[in-house]
Amino acid sequence: MTNKFHAIEFKEVSLAFDDNVVLDRVSFAVRYGESKVVMGGSGTGKSTLLRLALGLIKPDSGSILIDGENITDYTEEQMMEVRQKIGMVFQEGALFDSLSVYDNVAYRLREQHARESEIEPVVIRMLRFVDLEEAVDKMPNELSGGMRRRVGIARALVGSPKIILYDEPTAGLDPITARTICELALKLRDLEEVSSIFVTHRLQDIEVLASEYVVRDDFGNLVFEHEGDRMCLINTKFIMLKDGNVIFSGSDKEMRDTRDPYIRKFIDNER
Amino acid sequence: MNLIIRGIIQIQEITLLIWRVLRGIFRPPFYLREMIRQMDIMGFGSLTIILLTAFFTGAVLALNTGNTLQKFGVQSVSGQLVATSLIRELGPVLTCLMLAGRVGSGIAAELGSMLVSEQIDAMRALGADPIKKLVTPRIVALVTMAPALTIVCDMVGVLGGLFATISFQGQSSSVYISSAKVAVTYNEILGGLIKPTVFGFIIAIIGCYRGLSTKGGTVGVGRSTTQSVVDASILIIAVDFLLSKLIISLLLAP
Repeated sequence: MTNKFHAIEFKEVSLAFDDNVVLDRVSFAVRYGESKVVMGGSGTGKSTLLRLALGLIKPDSGSILIDGENITDYTEEQMMEVRQKIGMVFQEGALFDSLSVYDNVAYRLREQHARESEIEPVVIRMLRFVDLEEAVDKMPNELSGGMRRRVGIARALVGSPKIILYDEPTAGLDPITARTICELALKLRDLEEVSSIFVTHRLQDIEVLASEYVVRDDFGNLVFEHEGDRMCLINTKFIMLKDGNVIFSGSDKEMRDTRDPYIRKFIDNER
Repeated sequence: MNLIIRGIIQIQEITLLIWRVLRGIFRPPFYLREMIRQMDIMGFGSLTIILLTAFFTGAVLALNTGNTLQKFGVQSVSGQLVATSLIRELGPVLTCLMLAGRVGSGIAAELGSMLVSEQIDAMRALGADPIKKLVTPRIVALVTMAPALTIVCDMVGVLGGLFATISFQGQSSSVYISSAKVAVTYNEILGGLIKPTVFGFIIAIIGCYRGLSTKGGTVGVGRSTTQSVVDASILIIAVDFLLSKLIISLLLAP
């Protein structure tokens, strides 16, 4: 079995809501340390894919493996264990409106009954990672859209999960803020070896994720570099969903060279 | 979908929700702090409207029945009439209808908007059980606060009746009070507290169910909110009839 090499694996997963088929025997796998960018138009089941991986909903058939563990028939209690390994970044951040930024980020630790002395340094570290230390005492409704997403990322990172699911984290953001979010994803991918599924339909994100990488220079500073002749990124792969099926799976170069009319239209239109 | 089938499905889903609450209620974590917070919001927060409703209902009851009682020459029992009506019927029903409007709708709206903004999913993703964290504390809060508020309602209602009888019907306060005392027996009070306990449970479970089954974004939240008040009010009045029959034959039979 190849399970050992995959952080996330979908095997022949199907799901329908009433008569509406959302996913039709979808199979794919995310290797350890790999980012899988999932694309597709609205309503093609991209978000559903993430909710399945997190066990929030169950598939009608097929199986889902997380870290080699078959979670398809897990109960909610068993899922709680698995979810410790996964961080999820929701579309609009999904911050708890009634809690401050601090309490939002501390949420997972509070559920685990961690002591306040342990919680505080973690929260500060996470907020520093997304560059939002100054917002620690703010309430979610005082934050801009981009800040909410970043707090959402900070909250997802608590507990250092090795798998992160991004549900359109850049949707509706200006290009600069969207780039900030992508840079966070790059840092996690290249420096923390996080495996991830990144759902998006913005070509700019794909551009950044497919061609840039981040390294730490001799002084400990982070440097963003472009892939070039010397090196080619292999830790980011793409899949395209259409009508509940995977119609493309491969690297960004393969995607750009494809003749599939739907993908061509997708790429050309977005430009 | 057929109306009857939809009704059956809803009953099934509500039963399932109740089962999940009961199954988890004795297992940690308990979220005591959240329960107390909800009690404060729902119980203490509703005190003003309950006080006002109770006072004026008691007063108008004394006012309306005063003339009739006078015709039969038994004006002196108006205290008993007001107290019995309040303890048996008006206290529990009025309190809980007010709670359905103020608190039940709030539960549905809050949980509904949490659902559509994916906060419920986020909660599960972060290792918390929304049933335990959101539903159970609200049920516990309402089941305990509804009887407590009913007691307040009963007392203030009797005072309202006292105010009306002395000011508008020239009765002395001692006649009213000694007559009201006749109505206050242990069985009456017990019967009068069973009702709000059941109603409180109904309000909470309907509010939570409607909130958590919200569909269709922000418009759906509005729909759930309205529906929770309608459902809870109708159920309260229907269940009140059944409970009254039961309480009369078990506790109050001569």
